[in-house]
Amino acid sequence: MSEELDLMDDLDGREDTQKGMFMTFQIADECYGIAITYVQEIVGIQSITAVPETEDYIRGLINIRGKIIPVIDVRVRLKQEPREYTDRTCIIVIGVKSTVVGLIVDEIAGVITVNEKEIILPPSLSQSTAGNSKYVFGLSRVDNEVKLLLDPEKLIRDEDVEAFEDAAPAGEIAEA
Amino acid sequence: MGEDFNTDSMLDMFLYESEQLLETLDSTVLEKKDEECFDEESINEIFRVMHTIKGSSGIMMYENITKVSHKLEDVFYYLRESHPDNVPHLELVDHVLEVSDFITGELEKIKSGDTPDGDESKLVDEIDKFLTKVKTGISQKGEELPPENTYVEPEQFYIAPTGSESSKYYKVSIYWRSDTQMCNIRAYTAVYALKEVAEDIQYIPDDIISNEASGDVILEDGFHMLVQCQCSRDEVIAAIGETSGMERVEVNDCTKQEFELGFHEPEDHPIIIELDDKEKAQEKKPEKKEPAPGDYVIKNKEAGKSKKLAKNQPKQQPKQTYISVNVDKLDSLMDMIGELVISEATVLQNPDLKVPGLELSNFQKSASQLSKITTELQDVIMSMRMMPLTNTFQKMNRIVFDVSRKLGKDIELEVIGENTEVDKNIIEHISDPLMHLVRNSVDHGIESKEERIAAGKNPKGKITLEAKNEGGKVYIIVRDDGKGLNKEKLYEKARNNGLIGNRAMSEFTEKEIYQFITFAGFSTKEQVTEYSGRGVGMDVVVKNIQAVGGNLEIDSVEGGGSEMTMKIPLTLAIINGIVMQVGNSTFVVETNDIKEFVRVTKDMLVKEPDGEEYIMLREECYPFIRLNRRYHLDDSIAEIEEGIVVVLEHENKNVCVFIDQLIAEQEIVVKPIPSYIKKVQGLSGCTQLGDGSIALILDIAGLIAGEEKK
Repeated sequence: MSEELDLMDDLDGREDTQKGMFMTFQIADECYGIAITYVQEIVGIQSITAVPETEDYIRGLINIRGKIIPVIDVRVRLKQEPREYTDRTCIIVIGVKSTVVGLIVDEIAGVITVNEKEIILPPSLSQSTAGNSKYVFGLSRVDNEVKLLLDPEKLIRDEDVEAFEDAAPAGEIAEA
Repeated sequence: MGEDFNTDSMLDMFLYESEQLLETLDSTVLEKKDEECFDEESINEIFRVMHTIKGSSGIMMYENITKVSHKLEDVFYYLRESHPDNVPHLELVDHVLEVSDFITGELEKIKSGDTPDGDESKLVDEIDKFLTKVKTGISQKGEELPPENTYVEPEQFYIAPTGSESSKYYKVSIYWRSDTQMCNIRAYTAVYALKEVAEDIQYIPDDIISNEASGDVILEDGFHMLVQCQCSRDEVIAAIGETSGMERVEVNDCTKQEFELGFHEPEDHPIIIELDDKEKAQEKKPEKKEPAPGDYVIKNKEAGKSKKLAKNQPKQQPKQTYISVNVDKLDSLMDMIGELVISEATVLQNPDLKVPGLELSNFQKSASQLSKITTELQDVIMSMRMMPLTNTFQKMNRIVFDVSRKLGKDIELEVIGENTEVDKNIIEHISDPLMHLVRNSVDHGIESKEERIAAGKNPKGKITLEAKNEGGKVYIIVRDDGKGLNKEKLYEKARNNGLIGNRAMSEFTEKEIYQFITFAGFSTKEQVTEYSGRGVGMDVVVKNIQAVGGNLEIDSVEGGGSEMTMKIPLTLAIINGIVMQVGNSTFVVETNDIKEFVRVTKDMLVKEPDGEEYIMLREECYPFIRLNRRYHLDDSIAEIEEGIVVVLEHENKNVCVFIDQLIAEQEIVVKPIPSYIKKVQGLSGCTQLGDGSIALILDIAGLIAGEEKK
């Protein structure tokens, strides 16, 4: 019981300093943000071991100090054209609950602080037009630039079944 | 009731300690079960265990555990005091084991966060009856009954003032050293100890149990109690005892009025016992040997010799030299060491060192020293994960005892090589299958007494449980001298159940026929008993054993008994593997699975019209898998003559796998593929290679299964 309390304290403490902070990164022309509490570390791109018979966005496994971590290509996950990795390509290692996953992004932008009240919910119209909006839980305008705030849980969870159902009415049966 | 406590660590401690004690209890009881009665030592041991559990469960306020252990303690108290010689030993053993089971069950509930709500009354009644029976047996003989066990049950938290005229009143203050932790718990321990001698107790701070912060208050101001009791000051001091961190205890007389008034300013001339002072502590020692009023055993009579034994040992844990470490920590230590070995390789084989003409003899010397240390380190961490099978075998002892008694069979269990060490993970996996095998042996294997006598055998059946280490594997053998397996019956049954089609009996070898019993949906026992015969079992056993990379061999002599041999790997974590390459991917195959490597020419390859391929090797035909096609790998060799074919064997099935090239043989540390990635058939894990890259481990069984599905 006390352990739980400790944990709560811990979380509270972290939330105080990290509340509203988002790590931002670039994918194609858009700038995305992810709550910094999820971020464990950032490493440069390294050799990735492909695992056969997995979804296309799962690029494979990397080895970080003896820990083997699956990596997903956020570009592919957001249904965009993959591109060659450069020396600006980074892997953001995030921990969501007990799952640790690396996110391959084009470029790290920086850290922003967003006032919770200023987060704009994505307009519901875009649901059927943009394939990636189901991962975006809000928009934020910082320095006249719009950042798309990602929900990491949805990003890494495999919800293709749901996506399939969502996409079906719009006639977007991309993958079976 | 346990939720009043906000102290997880205390609960953990309680669970851990109680489990340890119950283990001791079980082993003591089972050791003595075949003798006529418990000897003095084991009676003391059981008494001590029950006493401790009673005490600690009392503190934790698990009432039912307290009641049951108290009851059993009563029995052993009686045994200890009056040495009755008419005790039905087996009945007593049963009672002890029942109590042990009951408490274990309750502890399980506590562990999973439930309230331990098991009903103890039946158990208590039974033991009560048993005790009365034993006692009346004695009184009929005209012997003197020992004094009744007058223990104030710990769940009576406050004892109503009895207001006896002769009562004395004391004011007790305890101070702890400033670095002491959990003072509130320590204070409660003192209250608890005094409760047994006192008629009434008041104390401040009064919220020591519910409020952890009260510990700090106690540290600052001391812990004060007002005690009403019949005993002398020295007895009060002795009852409180001396616990670690205690700085001094003050006991002052006070009047009844003061007692009734509650707390006020301390007295002027307290008697102070400085526990820090060594000399005084020495002086105090004899006093401590005086009967401690906290222990009811000593309250009513002179301290006998046996009592001293029990009293002097209470802190002795059977496994004092062990500490329990979280497995996660071990795992991360192992990760780190794996990483260290890899970094070592990158340093020692650094390309910078390959400059021609470089003088490196000193470097080489240090380098070899370094590799020696890392190798040793690796061995140590591996051995840390190894545990002897002793505990697992102990459980079997219990099962044989229980089942054989319920079935009315007389069975002796022989245990050989229980100190064989196996990886902890594996122990967890084999415990259930082993239990099943032992049960089977008792239930199906060993015949009833009459049958055994009719067959001219020793009426007492025998089961041997053996563990040994052989060729990197651990053999665990369950052997019985029962009736053995009947080949004809097995064959008939398998055929009737449609498990083998219509093949004739002569098509199978003996061992293959015995293996029938491991098929799903096969049970030769006509009647389902409580213990076996449901037809699920042996197939599950085999699956469990296979899950840890082991297998089960069955051998039997009809009328002479059967032998089940589990062959399991020593450890799951490190295997010897061959690293191979296909396209840009590297794979590892366990060396034991590889039969041979061959260069195959085109004419050995047989192609069916539907695209399926076979390899003809020495007049035999093997299924053929191209790994690159199977896993859609690019940039790999397609021409059969340029690559290499690996012949793999798993459970007498062969398969040929086509790869580009072999890289090396090495010891690899097996790691699971992160669960985020869905299970891929044919892959069982991954590993890091010397250069830090990751290779995938091929699972032969999965590969073959995948091939068969097509």
